[in-house]
Amino acid sequence: MNLNRRHILTGATALAASTALPRYALAADPMKVGIVLIGPVGDFGWSTMHDVGRRRMEEVLGDAVETTQIEAVAPPDFDRVVTQLVRADCKLIFTTSFSYFQPTIRMAEQFPDVMFENATGTSTLPNMAIYNARFYEGRYLQGVIAAMKSQTKQIGYVAAFPVPEVIHAINTVMRGAWSVDPEMRIRVVWANAWFNPGVEADAARALIDQGCDILCQHTDSPAPLQLAEERGIYGFGQASDMTRFAPRSHLTSSINNWGDYYASRAQAMIDGTWAPEDTWGGLDSGMFALAPFTNMTPEETAVAENVVAGLRSGEIDPFAGPIVNQAGETVIGEGETLTDDEIRAQNYFYQGIEVSMPG
Amino acid sequence: MTLAVAIMLTVITAATPLLIAAIGELVTERSGVLNLGVEGMMIMGAASGVAVAIVTGSSILGVLAAIGAGMALAAIFALLTLGLAANQYASGLALTIFGLGLSGVIGAPFVGVQREGIRRITIPWLSDLPVIGPILFRQDPFVYGSILLVVGVSWFLWRSKAGLILRACGENPVSAHALGYNVLRIRLYAVLFGGACAGVAGAYLSLVLTPFWTAGMTAGRGWIALAIVVFASWLPLRAMFGAYLFGGLIILQLHAQTAGVAVPSQFLAALPYLLTIVALTLIMAWRRGSGAGSIAPAGLGQTFTPDR
Repeated sequence: MNLNRRHILTGATALAASTALPRYALAADPMKVGIVLIGPVGDFGWSTMHDVGRRRMEEVLGDAVETTQIEAVAPPDFDRVVTQLVRADCKLIFTTSFSYFQPTIRMAEQFPDVMFENATGTSTLPNMAIYNARFYEGRYLQGVIAAMKSQTKQIGYVAAFPVPEVIHAINTVMRGAWSVDPEMRIRVVWANAWFNPGVEADAARALIDQGCDILCQHTDSPAPLQLAEERGIYGFGQASDMTRFAPRSHLTSSINNWGDYYASRAQAMIDGTWAPEDTWGGLDSGMFALAPFTNMTPEETAVAENVVAGLRSGEIDPFAGPIVNQAGETVIGEGETLTDDEIRAQNYFYQGIEVSMPG
Repeated sequence: MTLAVAIMLTVITAATPLLIAAIGELVTERSGVLNLGVEGMMIMGAASGVAVAIVTGSSILGVLAAIGAGMALAAIFALLTLGLAANQYASGLALTIFGLGLSGVIGAPFVGVQREGIRRITIPWLSDLPVIGPILFRQDPFVYGSILLVVGVSWFLWRSKAGLILRACGENPVSAHALGYNVLRIRLYAVLFGGACAGVAGAYLSLVLTPFWTAGMTAGRGWIALAIVVFASWLPLRAMFGAYLFGGLIILQLHAQTAGVAVPSQFLAALPYLLTIVALTLIMAWRRGSGAGSIAPAGLGQTFTPDR
């Protein structure tokens, strides 16, 4: 069931009437799950992949769940939409954006009997869990592959906003690249948007013109990868498998995979074992996967697969010390490693990354 | 290819949609009609262009559809402001909001559909010249078209009788009417021309610059085109200068970032509008000093109802 906001208004009224009736067959009723999306289902990136996850949950749990998804909800509309979902008897509500983190806390306090889950939030409540994937593991691998593929030894990075998620990704790409070739350098352009194909394309052009021959992107449209294809260099896809946008340039994509997590959380609700957990799953958790390697030699593929195995097993820790920041100060020493909270709050670049924060 | 040439090429592609839309709006405003719906007409052109190009497989049909979509929206605007003498400012703003919404509906089935962009035309021999070869003789058809448009509109407005009449409708519609010219019909043609140009500018975005559809992909370019018209003080050649200046600012800011220079990108995003205000202030101060009147068409933004 895929509803827009107007439909659910009428639906909520009908449901409110039906819940007033005595409920004899309570056990046989499907559990209702609500999902709130920040973008349209068809954004071909972040929200699309949450929708794929919802469908996977329905596939796994069958008649045990019934989902109501509302797309393109701007933060100011969030409270009203969630209130409607609660009135429609949703017991578990996934709010799939960091922009919803504070609003979700507010709604969780208002509806203590409903369980909430916020994607990429940073703290929990008794009825609010948070979940995210360790996308930086994919970034480390991108750095390794970039260092093998680059002739000019320059990586171009189309970034959205200077938030910790993006900053630690840039740091991690370079960690990966330096593990192969310490000569590697990075150039970053801030697009100041998660999704603005025109600006993303112009940013990619600027990076390529400056001599970058590998593009990483931390924005959601396929425009930078398309540019890489047009200019005959290599690039990586974002959020979903973008091979078809650049058959000759695509190396791999990080593919978000929320479905199994959603299914297990809904199952926990049905079993009565749900707890407000803080889930941050890496490659080994299956919360994100990698698109098949393309345009790589068998030797390069073998190295990449080795790195993937190392990341999965924990043998490679992208945040192991020593870490020195741009100013030359030692953040942590040899033998130490950053905690999850420190990674989530990272607001500095490493030494050797000649990138400035946008003013 | 040197970096300077590469930057020039990118500036041209960034400036071309701004220029095409600005020239269309310039003609509309010269006839005395202020259409604030450029952004809406532009994005309708982008959506219709890519939709038809994908369905038919023909980029030319896509461009024609974009022209049609821009003109259709302009026709609605003309119906309101010319036919019903509604307020031009409110109607234009409504047109932008309407276009942004409707384009999302038209484009919805085409989200994420991949399509080959329109190729560049390479002029043999000349394109092999150093520096000017790639800049002047290896461009897509829209770039050549935009230059022709500037030259053509310049000629039309100042060297043809029809252009003189059109400007008269913008300066003093009552006099033009008294002389026996059908002001409303002339304004209708000007509005439709503006719509067609905005449609083409939109098609340039969705068929050349980033060859796919996403909602809201014009991202404010229609507003920059409106600012360019004012910045250019309603002169086509100055509009060309303005478009390349504003396009250049966008691109240079990106290059400054890649070089690790800290640039306040929000400030640079506001710069086109700021420059417009500065240019307008300077021009007005100078003209007041010399005793001349306003540079805007005197009848701009005023509704005209012929007395019967």
